[in-house]
Amino acid sequence: MLPRNPTNHQHSTTGIYNSRNPGMHLPSRARLACCVITLFAFPLMARAADWQPLIAQLSGKISAATGPGVIALDITNRSTISAADVEAIRRELTSSLANSGVRVWQPEQAAGIVKITLSESLQNYVWVAEVQLGVNEHPVVIVSMPRPESATNAQNAPPLALRTTTLLSQADPILDVVIIEGSPRRMLVLGVSAITPYEFRDSRWIAGSPLAITHERPLPRDIRGRLVLRKDHLFDAYLPGLVCHSTNAAPLGVNCAHSDDPWPLQTEEPHVSAFYAPARNFFTGALVPGIGQQKSAPPFYSAASVPREKYALWIFVGVDGQLRLLDGINQQSLPKIHWGSDITSIHAPCRAGSQVLATSSENGSTDIIQAFEFPDREPVAVSQKLELNGSVTALWTAENGEAATLVFHDADKGDYEAVLLNFACGQ
Amino acid sequence: MRRFCSILLVVSSLWPALAPGATRPHYGGSLRVAAKETPASLDPASLAVSGPIGLSRLVFETLVTLDDRGQTQPGLATSWQAEPGNQRWRFQLRSGVSFHDGTILTGNAVSASLRAANPNWKILPAGDAVVIETDSADQGVPAGLALDRNGIVHRVGAKISGTGPFSVAHWDPAKHLTLRANDQYWGGRPFLDSIEVDFGKDYREQLALLDLGKVDVIQITPENIHRAQAEGRTIIISEPSKLMALVFPQEAKSEDETRARAALGMSIDTVAINNVVLQGGGTATGALLPNWLTGYAFTFPSGGGADDARHERMQIRHPPAWTLGYDSSDPISRVIAERILLNARDVGITLQLSTSGPTDLRLVRIALASEEPQVALMELAKDLNLPAPEFSNSSASLYAAEGSLLQTHRVIPLVHLRSAVALHPIVRDWVILPNGACSVENVWLSPEKP
Repeated sequence: MLPRNPTNHQHSTTGIYNSRNPGMHLPSRARLACCVITLFAFPLMARAADWQPLIAQLSGKISAATGPGVIALDITNRSTISAADVEAIRRELTSSLANSGVRVWQPEQAAGIVKITLSESLQNYVWVAEVQLGVNEHPVVIVSMPRPESATNAQNAPPLALRTTTLLSQADPILDVVIIEGSPRRMLVLGVSAITPYEFRDSRWIAGSPLAITHERPLPRDIRGRLVLRKDHLFDAYLPGLVCHSTNAAPLGVNCAHSDDPWPLQTEEPHVSAFYAPARNFFTGALVPGIGQQKSAPPFYSAASVPREKYALWIFVGVDGQLRLLDGINQQSLPKIHWGSDITSIHAPCRAGSQVLATSSENGSTDIIQAFEFPDREPVAVSQKLELNGSVTALWTAENGEAATLVFHDADKGDYEAVLLNFACGQ
Repeated sequence: MRRFCSILLVVSSLWPALAPGATRPHYGGSLRVAAKETPASLDPASLAVSGPIGLSRLVFETLVTLDDRGQTQPGLATSWQAEPGNQRWRFQLRSGVSFHDGTILTGNAVSASLRAANPNWKILPAGDAVVIETDSADQGVPAGLALDRNGIVHRVGAKISGTGPFSVAHWDPAKHLTLRANDQYWGGRPFLDSIEVDFGKDYREQLALLDLGKVDVIQITPENIHRAQAEGRTIIISEPSKLMALVFPQEAKSEDETRARAALGMSIDTVAINNVVLQGGGTATGALLPNWLTGYAFTFPSGGGADDARHERMQIRHPPAWTLGYDSSDPISRVIAERILLNARDVGITLQLSTSGPTDLRLVRIALASEEPQVALMELAKDLNLPAPEFSNSSASLYAAEGSLLQTHRVIPLVHLRSAVALHPIVRDWVILPNGACSVENVWLSPEKP
């Protein structure tokens, strides 16, 4: 989430392109600690971009055009550079020009004026200086520097009950993430073409060798996947029409095969699985072994269970947008509830029962997460809304059942952000 | 640059019924589109093929694509590398890709396709790769391969086939096109089952079809964008990108003529043309490439300097009288041509409008071919029959190259026009690229009634 230093994103001059590596934004120890001990959603840090290279270039070109003397500066900002940065640029540029023998003074006492426009294009910051010394010639000098792909700004967020911990940020889609507690902590990241193991060492997640997912048939659009830890081997990975089992022998590997095996909806007892449409982005509705007497539901995107004393209430988000409740005997629709396609359930340690995390969108472009409980058959919100800067692409219950793995596609950066979502009890 | 944080916790009421949204894409349905264009061919080699919604990209894919920042990304090629000197490039092809007719994508097929579109390149198959050799060092080869005309085609007689997410199910030239989802598409089957495009519909017809619920997507002309927004329609608008300009087919034959062309450029009130005639549907400009693409377009003066124009005109001994051509089927072009005529007359330059035969200058609209500025300028120069610009990889160099093209006085930029489409509310994830092209492959139709 940190803004990238523009100087780190110079144009490649090697004439080579290879598919992007999944670059990670790894949380620092301080940042992780911050996530744990504070109530802020993200311990965001922002710092001003480093404009020095561009200032030095522009200063050099201006002083070459004017020669030593006194000029006036007129700076106009036509870019996304902040007002504070513009002031900093003005100061630095004035200082840099002075070092070259060009003093900046009031227009009426200057030999000429240099009109600078801080502009930008799709890819670059473009600074244009029009040097007006004489009547006829107004030479234009231009310097440029690649813009960072995105930058973020820290904002204070009010204390809230929902808490997020950043796990991973990368350009390639993240379908699911599981954390394996131990020493060291490990993490498995399910992508479209590989499962990548990570280890938490030296306050960083260190990526291991990716385990390639092989398949013959094209995978569908809006691809989804699920990682499930197993007792007799490390994990299974479920993708549309494909199941991958990890090997038992070292080094860790995976064997993938076409399969229509149902995906686990719930890894805790009682186990319930559902068949996933291999060329689509939803579950067919067929349940294994079923919920009580009910062996199927209408096709659905996601499901969450709320355990009761003698049964479990299941909530399904249908492909038709309808929210449905199945209790093992009856099916009930909730036509007035308009949730998004992704829901899941977690248990807050400080509360009885389970909470359902549901997505929604208020503006159509960014999604919101909110937690609900079902005291009876109607959802009651139990958290405030968590607004994401993008759309949710995956929401699954984490292994311990007390957290959820959330992946969203950042609308500004274009990256996929995986976060762990749980409750800050008592706060 | 600072932006807002990625996750913002919002204090709000605890209300159980959240607003609708956050819905995963739905598979199925047919998207119905009405368009003004009347393409006679679907072959990417035909410049008209791009059509209103980026049809070419749906059927014919390129080795390289450009993302929304104009950066090259893998397409049918997964990686590429230049040998020192940037004259010989090797593109590694994606494996497991087939044309719609079942033919496997190979180096031979790609070479044959690219040769047809680039006769000046030496293109050789190399197993599962393709090698391209250019006459001179060319860093822009990958970005150039992202142009629509470099879509990879498999030709068998008169039949053409692509590898894209949709295949052609029915084609009635200039009238109707039916595209069907490619279930075997390497990038995943599209959400839509099919796309139906009706060509040759003027704006009023399109609007009526949309209002009657008979189509889901129509084109909005720049001058109607403001009105469509005021009517509350769902509109998606591009950056100002399509260049409206006056073009002289010949070089100026005398110093007087050069001065007269400069005076004509100064005389035209481009701001009034944009604000009044086009209802703010673009941006007045003096540059060939739009500012969002280069960052320096504002440095080129954009007309409206009647006093300067008169001063320039006073220095002309033998003022020319020109004929100005325009597209007679476009009423807005006529209005703009008439305004130009009046502006020119005000400073003593004689113009006469003409809709037939060769003319001394012509009012044209030229689409931005690429979101990579150097490729865009090269293509623009080619379209205008101007000398190929030369530049290195810097904004200053691009600025100098564009300045040189303008100094030929063969083209007078007027306005960069926006492109826009109006959508039925059930259409989701329609993306319009900054250059006005549309990205449709991820579109889906909501089952919910608006």
